[in-house]
Amino acid sequence: MSKSRLKTIKDLAPLRNSLIKEREKLRATIVICGGTGCQASRSLAVIDEVKKQLAKHKLKKSVNVRTTGCHGFCEQGPVMVIEPDEIFYCHVSPDDAAEIVTKTIRDGEIIERLLYTDPVSGKTIKTESEIPFYLAQDRYLLAQNRQVNPCSIEDYIAIGGYSALAKTLFELPPESVVKEIVNSELRGRGGGGFPTGRKWAECREAPGDEKYVICNADEGDPGAYMDRCVLEGNPHLVLEGMMIGAWAVGARKGYVYVRNEYPLAVKHIQLAVEQARKLGILGENIFGSPFSFDVDIARGGGAFVCGESTALMASLEGKVGEPRPKDVHTVVDGLWHKPTTLNNVETWANVPSIIKNGSSWFASKGAKGSKGTKILALTGHIKNTGLVEVEMGKSINDVVFGIGGGATNGKAIKAVQTGGPSGGCLPVEKFDLPVDFDALADAGSMVGSGGMVVMDESTCMVDVAKYFLTFLQDESCGKCVPCRLGIDRMLEIVTEISEGRGTSDHIELLEDLGDTMSTTSLCGLGKTAANPVLSTLRYFRDEYETHINEKKCPAGVCQALITYIIDEEKCTCCGLCKRACPHNAIAGKKKQVHSIDVDLCQKCGICMSECKFDAIQIQ
Amino acid sequence: MTQEVTVNIDGAFIRAPKGSTVLDAALGAGICIPHLCRVPYLEDIGACRLCIVEHIENGRSKITTSCTLLVQEGMRILSNTDRIRKLRRNIAELLVTEAPNSRAIQDIALRCGVVETRYPFRNSDCVLCGRCVRACTGHFGEKAIGFVGRGKDRRVESPFNLYSELCNECGRCIDLCPMTIVPCDGNMKPGEGRLCGNCESKMLTEEAAQGYCIGCYMGDGFQCERSITNTL
Repeated sequence: MSKSRLKTIKDLAPLRNSLIKEREKLRATIVICGGTGCQASRSLAVIDEVKKQLAKHKLKKSVNVRTTGCHGFCEQGPVMVIEPDEIFYCHVSPDDAAEIVTKTIRDGEIIERLLYTDPVSGKTIKTESEIPFYLAQDRYLLAQNRQVNPCSIEDYIAIGGYSALAKTLFELPPESVVKEIVNSELRGRGGGGFPTGRKWAECREAPGDEKYVICNADEGDPGAYMDRCVLEGNPHLVLEGMMIGAWAVGARKGYVYVRNEYPLAVKHIQLAVEQARKLGILGENIFGSPFSFDVDIARGGGAFVCGESTALMASLEGKVGEPRPKDVHTVVDGLWHKPTTLNNVETWANVPSIIKNGSSWFASKGAKGSKGTKILALTGHIKNTGLVEVEMGKSINDVVFGIGGGATNGKAIKAVQTGGPSGGCLPVEKFDLPVDFDALADAGSMVGSGGMVVMDESTCMVDVAKYFLTFLQDESCGKCVPCRLGIDRMLEIVTEISEGRGTSDHIELLEDLGDTMSTTSLCGLGKTAANPVLSTLRYFRDEYETHINEKKCPAGVCQALITYIIDEEKCTCCGLCKRACPHNAIAGKKKQVHSIDVDLCQKCGICMSECKFDAIQIQ
Repeated sequence: MTQEVTVNIDGAFIRAPKGSTVLDAALGAGICIPHLCRVPYLEDIGACRLCIVEHIENGRSKITTSCTLLVQEGMRILSNTDRIRKLRRNIAELLVTEAPNSRAIQDIALRCGVVETRYPFRNSDCVLCGRCVRACTGHFGEKAIGFVGRGKDRRVESPFNLYSELCNECGRCIDLCPMTIVPCDGNMKPGEGRLCGNCESKMLTEEAAQGYCIGCYMGDGFQCERSITNTL
């Protein structure tokens, strides 16, 4: 295999062919997810053990072990797929490695106990493609994660990587690339949903020779990790997208702004840039064309607000990460006051396939006004936690109940929080809404970056609003008044409500304040900061009213509004709760029904979780 | 000669030099748009959001701060609509309840039509308008003080909260601070719901306050750097 610099475009195809041939020689490939989710369930130990076992059975040369990025089915981690038969094993432990190597690899047998069991039919499923979780999805971006080792540029080239770039540089003038993206109707995946083609066209037309492209990988929404998994699992895809974008808008320099809390993503993108430089895919005169481009990696310092485009640029410039007014758009006056195209990781990752397959291919997927697929992070009270990729326009029902498998513990699902702290909560009655930019925005929420936190009936919506406000209060930069003081006052009011001091004027005040914040704040963070409150007020107004008027928390979450009582009929006088109570609030002798002293009780809930007879209840 | 453009602010056609802001054009023409964080000759950051206006573009209204919006030929601006007045009142209410003992902020609040407040008072020493910081960094380039922290922890401090050797004791930061203007001697205590009313005497009527200079306390240097005489 030649690993020397690709001097001309003609060198790419032979390299790819030789790589493919080399891979065809292999007897099997064991694919193990090394994404953050599976790493947390010890997938790295599994990988070590599998490699050891392969060496032991002298299969090291004929069997390849591929550590990949996230496959999406994090709930079942660590997951393993054995190619070419696509045998899917889940919850693999290091102890299983020997058996997998001897039975499945050497003898071709299937290990029944490691297969995935369909919770509906109760039957085991042999291959990955038959699993309902994957079947119900439309995986284009995430599917590639399984095919490549993110640390190997060869893997990426072998599956057709950088061919879209080659096509761009030698067949498509910049105007045609912009036109393709405009025609594809791709919209930004970072939250705003701005038409990417229009952004590129404006940046291309902006005066100035020096232009920049930026990849925004400062993903910070609680419960969202789409960008992380794309960058960790397939960094070259993002790089290729950026290079095509740079060619289109006329930039020679790009930046990837990735948050430092994603060490694996930082490592993989750095490695990808080094590898691409070595092969001559980044640098001067790429593939012998007149186009030169290079990428720098910048690490974010942990401020949520730096995901906002102008704050991100300020941070890149070495200034404090605070947004600035955008009366002149960043496509004209961006990084160092030069025209700058900033897109989210997932947006860049969509670009190569649009160029490869044509804009009409992309535009044929998805709904009207929201084309293509979107990766969603399903988290919360749901069976199948993980990353799912669906065509836009699929209903929330299909995602939550179809792919997600419904609630855990048999409780009823109450709401889904979409779009992170900037999004809103949608009640279960609204679950027939399609996941597309406009439909969710009309309903008072947003697709945002794609986080979906599913909440069951044990969730108090006032408490949810309080949680997001607390998050935003910490993460607001504090520069403008409506955002800094508005969030502060909102949190103050919501806290009053959750602690039983709410008044009937509070709801109206929250709505008025929310309107002011969303209209007058400086940046997107402030403009959307009121959404968690406004959307819960819109759909769960009765919960706020119960908190205010009856001083009760229907879900039994708000501590100040609940009291723990012992059901005398159920209490078996075992004394477990009494021993567990850290505040000595429970009285009662042996064989005597216990009781809780309301004054001493700190409402920690330990007694409730200790009681084996459901005798302790919330009132 | 500098190029001039014509902008339409509240129905009046105003000529303003190219590159100037809508707020400057409006103030120069006697249209007083309330503002706090803006200081003439210093960089405008759009932090207080009081100077919001409606920018009518292609039949659509966009609400933005006039201190960061540059004048363009044929631009149409509305600075005093019902919507703007309501939003401005809400912002001023947030500010005045944060620092009810500042005469400057009380005046601004009254000017914006805040009569009753809906939040409990806090006695903050600073509303983070950033006038002092920009005077220090922008005008003199000293950087003896700056913003520290973010969100609710944001505050103005010298580096490491020690006396900065960069400070040349020019005192400009103090001159520009809305908090050091003699505090109102009314009974503005936390927990009270109404402004003291001592400042209301300066108001002609609430109606007249909307859109015209009422010669508020800061008229000479702070709020609009025009005295009452050249306004009416």
